[in-house]
This record gives sequence, structure tokens and C-alpha cells, in this order.
Amino acid sequence: MNLWGPYTKAMLTNRTLWFWAVVFMGFWLAIGAFVESQGLSLVGASLRNYATSWYAVIVLFSLSMLAISIANSMTYGSGALAYSFRFTRLTPESYFGSVVGGSAVLGIVLSFVLIGATTAMFAIRFGSVLLPADVPALLGISLLGGVFYMALSMTLILVVINYLGLKSASFIGFVPLLFSYALGIAQAYVRLPDWLLYGSPFNDIASLLYQGFAGYPSAAVLGEANAAPLDWAPLTAGIVVWTLLLTGTSLLLLRRIRARQLEEGRQI
Amino acid sequence: MPSSAPGVDVLEARQLEVTFPGAAVPALRGVDLTLGDEKMIVVGANGSGKTTLIKAFLGLVRPTGGSVRVLDQDVDRIQGATGLSTNLAEVYRLVSLPIGDLVPVFAALKGGDPRELRERLHEFGLDDVLGKRMHELSTGQQKLVGDLLATSFGPRLVLLDEPFDNVDFARRRQLVKRLREISAAVLLNTHELELLANFGGWKLGLMFEGHLFGPFRVDELDRLFLSRGARSGALAEMTTSLGTFSITLDAGDRPVKSATSLNALMEALA
Repeated sequence: MNLWGPYTKAMLTNRTLWFWAVVFMGFWLAIGAFVESQGLSLVGASLRNYATSWYAVIVLFSLSMLAISIANSMTYGSGALAYSFRFTRLTPESYFGSVVGGSAVLGIVLSFVLIGATTAMFAIRFGSVLLPADVPALLGISLLGGVFYMALSMTLILVVINYLGLKSASFIGFVPLLFSYALGIAQAYVRLPDWLLYGSPFNDIASLLYQGFAGYPSAAVLGEANAAPLDWAPLTAGIVVWTLLLTGTSLLLLRRIRARQLEEGRQI
Repeated sequence: MPSSAPGVDVLEARQLEVTFPGAAVPALRGVDLTLGDEKMIVVGANGSGKTTLIKAFLGLVRPTGGSVRVLDQDVDRIQGATGLSTNLAEVYRLVSLPIGDLVPVFAALKGGDPRELRERLHEFGLDDVLGKRMHELSTGQQKLVGDLLATSFGPRLVLLDEPFDNVDFARRRQLVKRLREISAAVLLNTHELELLANFGGWKLGLMFEGHLFGPFRVDELDRLFLSRGARSGALAEMTTSLGTFSITLDAGDRPVKSATSLNALMEALA
């Protein structure tokens, strides 16, 4: 029993997700294109480096919104899942596969909508049309990014549902966003240590998105010119390993899901 | 598909206890209940533990004592048992889509034909819900959609929590007819004593403060009396916060059928 179709449709028609993952991210892109760029001399390679940095970080933020959406959905549906695994044909594996499929599609859709937004805004500001250099690579990393964020979000929220109680759901649900902002912005401005650049899945995704859009590897600091490039192979290995680890963990937790009352999550 | 053989108990609770974290008193206290291929109605006031009982059978609340088996399997280990259905709204919150999109999903989850559910929605005059999401429906519509989901796709056992709440009179009659005709075991909770007249032949349980008393028979309702204190030859003795009460046959302080609710009857006697 596969829910891939309904889940993908529900995600694609989720107006809240579109607002936070696209419209709100469009606002940040506009800040990058029209405000932060004031006073900078951006032409040719420097413009591409600058715009690509914004694209990579913004997609990271956008995917973290997808993670929050998945966490909210699971918090709301813990009873439905606990029931469905017992009394319908839905299995934890098929549910997981459905959400993976939906998240992969959403990862690609969000990433490519933001490519359009980046290209459009920087074209308006600088009169130069920046197109992504390696579309297949962007397709792959966006898909992988969507799946990683889904697995991370599912793991975190299942720990809350199964063991901690919903009181902490709203905080834990935002952890992917907190890490995305902290590590994404950090990589845009400071030289992070190599172990973090390669070991952090958030920076792996940002660096690979950068490479896919720009057509050449990212430096340690996003957009930095004349610096040693990051190696795409360990970056890819990092994100794959993290995704596999979180996939296994979330599947184990999903098999033990508890029904929780939404009232548990009430804060006030 | 795991399922119990005909003649085997489809529901079984033994000394079932449920105490919610932080609660001073248990929600269920030593409930014993066995249901074969038959129908039972449990009457009790709001807060008496009826919904918790159904949730315990569904594995949605964790017992703090005793055991629960459904369709001849431990509820904690059961998987893919499509024969059990319920009307509890929370179990249908899998994905947020209009009901029209969910009909084939729920049919597939139960291995049924979506046309069956669409036809039932049509019979109940609920065609207009197909374009709406569950949260956009009125309370009564949500309840009816849950009732129809629970009773569609050939269930072996149906657990219904307050299926008539906020349902208008005409559709109540339709639902009563449907529940009487359905060829499945049914456990139905309600706080409305006056509904019992519709369910002649069904087993009857009375729920009060987490205790389940019975089973009696709905057909005996005219003969059931509630009396203050312990009575010899009583069918059941209920020790509650209002004192001890006895349920007796043919004689006693007050006829059960005279009350609008069990609570009101006890308070009148206390």
C-alpha cells in the first residue's frame, strides 16, 4: 500500500509550506539581490559567486521548512499512523517510502522554483541572466536534500512522539531550521573547520548546491574567490551517510510510534 | 490478513486499567469485557471512560494494567488487521486532502471498493463533503463521515464512539438502520440512554467512573432497576464516589429506563 501520490499532492498543495518555503525565501533572496548587494562591485564571476551563495543558503532554509511541515504532519497524525499500522494495509515501510517520495519531489520543486527566483531577481538587479550550470547535479542534490531533511525531521519528531511527549514538539520540530540557519549563514561568512564542512549534512548540501549552480566547486566560505575548493566526493558521501543513518533510525522509531493527544502539545 | 476465526472472541479485555500520566484517578478500572460476533452498546456519562475503552482496544492508549486482545491478537503486536474499523476522527488524519481524494485512499488501506463509500455518502446526503477537507466539515458531518468509514469495506468488528453526536434526526434514523443491518460485531458507546430503544437484541454495558458493569441485554432495559446500596440477588453492584448502587431485575428504587443519563439516575438516588 503506497501513499506516495496522496502525500505528494498534499505537500504540493500545502499553502503554508509554499508561503514559508517559497514566498518567505523569495523575500530573503530579494534582500540578497537588492539590499545586501549595495556597495558591492559584482560583475561576471563575482556576481555568479555572490548569487550562487544566496541560492545555496536559501534552498537550505527552504528545505528546513519542508522538514517543519513533515514534523507538524506527524505530530498531528500520530494516532492515525498508530491505528493504520495495526488496522490497515499501511506498513511503516510503505508509509516511510511514501513520505520519502513526496519529500524528494518537493525538494526538487522547491529547489527549482528558487532557481527561477534567484535568476529573476539577480537579472532584474544586475541585468545579467544567471542560469544553473549543472541541472542534473542540482536535480540529484535537491532530491537528496529533500530526503535528508525528511529523515532528519521524522527522526527528531518520532523521538518526541515516542519518548518525550508533545510538549517539546514545537521546539524540536524547528531544530532542522535552527541548524540550517546557523550553519548555512556561518558558511557564507566565516571559515568553518574542514571536519564541519564535510561532516555537517547542512554544509554538504549547501556546498553541493553551490557547485551545481555555479558549475565549479564551492570554497570553504561560500562565494569566496581564489580559495581552495571543497571536494564534491566526500561532500556527497557525507550527505548520503547521514541520510542512510537517519533513514534507518526513523524507520525503527516509526515501527514503535505511539498515539499522542494533540492537547499534550498545548503551550499556554 | 490476520483475522480471528468465526466464533472466536473479537474483543477481550481482562482487568484492564488505564491511568493517564498525572491523573489522580484511573480512567478505566479493572474492565473485563468479551465480545464475540455480536453487538454491544455501552452507556455512560461523558467522562466515564467510554472513549478510553475504545482507544485501548485500538492501541491508542497504553494500559497500565491488564490485557487487551482484538481479533484474537495482542493489540500491541497486531499488524494489517483490516477487519477492525472505528469512527474516531483522529485515526483518519493521515493526510490533509479533500474527502473526495481520501475516499480511494481509505478504500485501498482497507482493501475495499471506493464506490461503496461514495454510495454511502450519497445515501446520507453527504455528496457536498467530497470537495472539502475533514476540518472544513461541520462536527456532525465529521462524525457521520467517520461512522460511514467505520462501517464500509466489510469490517469484521466496528468500534463506534458516540456515533450519533451532532447528527440530525433523519440521519440518526438512517444510521440506526445501518448499524442494525451491518453484519459485523459492533461495540458502540453513547451517553444517550434513550437511544437504547433502537438496539433491541444487543448486549448492554453500563459505564461509570471507569468501571464497566454488565453485560445485560438491551431487551431487559424495561426490567432493570437501580437501587441505593447492596441488594441481594443484584445483577451487578457498583461502588462509586456517590456510594454503592445495585442493578436489579424487576424491582428496585428507580427504573433505569426512566433516566436521561446514568449519572442523573445515581445523583437522584444518592
